[in-house]
Amino acid sequence: MVERCFVTKDLDEALRIRKETGAHPLAGGSDLMVQYKQGIGITPVFPWPVMVISGIEELKGIRKLDDGRIEIGALETPSAIAASDLVPWHVRQAASRMGAVALRNTATIGGNIGNASPKGDLPQPLILLDAVVVLRSADSVREVLLDDFIRGSKKTDLHEDELITAIRITEVPYSYAYYRKVGTRRANAISKLSISSLVLIEDGIIKDFRASSGAAGPKVIRSHEVEDLLKGHAVDEVPSLIPAITEGWDKAISPHAMPAYRRGTTARALEHFLSAVATLPPGPVIE
Amino acid sequence: MIKFTLNGRQVSFEGNPLTRLIDVIREDLGLTGTKEGCGEGECGACSVLRNGHLVTSCIIPVGAVDGDEIVTIEGLRDTEQGRCIIESFAEGGAVQCGFCIPGMVMAAQALLLTNPDPSEEDVRLAISGNICRCTGYDLIVDSILLAARKGRGLW
Repeated sequence: MVERCFVTKDLDEALRIRKETGAHPLAGGSDLMVQYKQGIGITPVFPWPVMVISGIEELKGIRKLDDGRIEIGALETPSAIAASDLVPWHVRQAASRMGAVALRNTATIGGNIGNASPKGDLPQPLILLDAVVVLRSADSVREVLLDDFIRGSKKTDLHEDELITAIRITEVPYSYAYYRKVGTRRANAISKLSISSLVLIEDGIIKDFRASSGAAGPKVIRSHEVEDLLKGHAVDEVPSLIPAITEGWDKAISPHAMPAYRRGTTARALEHFLSAVATLPPGPVIE
Repeated sequence: MIKFTLNGRQVSFEGNPLTRLIDVIREDLGLTGTKEGCGEGECGACSVLRNGHLVTSCIIPVGAVDGDEIVTIEGLRDTEQGRCIIESFAEGGAVQCGFCIPGMVMAAQALLLTNPDPSEEDVRLAISGNICRCTGYDLIVDSILLAARKGRGLW
């Protein structure tokens, strides 16, 4: 196999190369270089042409757009995301718990999304917040809801001539926020399960309730059906609704991805958060 | 051609841009202080600084560091900060077999660059991506704290 590799620091050139050769983008390399490694002293071999895009400045930066949304460039690292005051809390939490320091300085948000691993850390809180992904080709730009873009394990809706250029997040108001990641170690662990949730209360009524589970199926789990079980109810009704919610959530997550102990832990995490909502004053962060 | 700065010196590389940075450092440039453990970015033995940030050189293609500043243990050991960390490791008895130590020293440097007065918890988090098979973690942690005390004002 004749392998081709391109290195470019210019987005227009990258989009042209992508269109003409179908080269796959390599950003941080923390997934691809491991997946296609050959061994000590041997250069990784890829089944398709590769384009190293890590030097493209246009794909960097975290900024607030004129419409109020937060835009994170596809090449931003978990370290930069975790350290940015602009980035919503749930996303910063997930970014700060990815791998260890060196991994967080290397991986990129675009790669974490494009790789679409069910255990990927960033899609889970991003899908909680209804983030959209910006996709560019030489001829077009489109925005797609991240929950629609990731189709399943390692499957996305990325067209053959497109690159992920940014992620955009609308700020979601909440009175309580929750993030939990469970791994085999406290640091430097791949997710066994992760869960994010938020609740917004206005005048004693639940205006918004969301939850998302990572490593719980082929893709991140959201269930609007379960979320609707809580919305519109008074806060003092929450304790009586918790069993229906944890039961509904258990049905939403994949039995194949989630053996019993992980289902139990997920249910207890959700129960813990909602019990805190029912009993504690808005924090907003529930530990 | 890929050009970058290695320990303050301009270097260039003309092979496959997907060549792993660690192979360029060890094989092409002959600096063997940087070690390879797992080859998957999990163990930290191959840690170097890239533009001041800790990275594992076994999972980074050399094409990705074009224009960057890379510092290896050979570059750090000749600085006052590097000497302070290395002497503290010796004084604190941090080194057993020694294979993880270059990576541990780079991780300590990355920590002290941003946090010159770390707590024990900060140190443990900073080296959480560096694995020591001799499991001498406590003495390594103590030695990094010793470096921070002895080198006050250096970072």
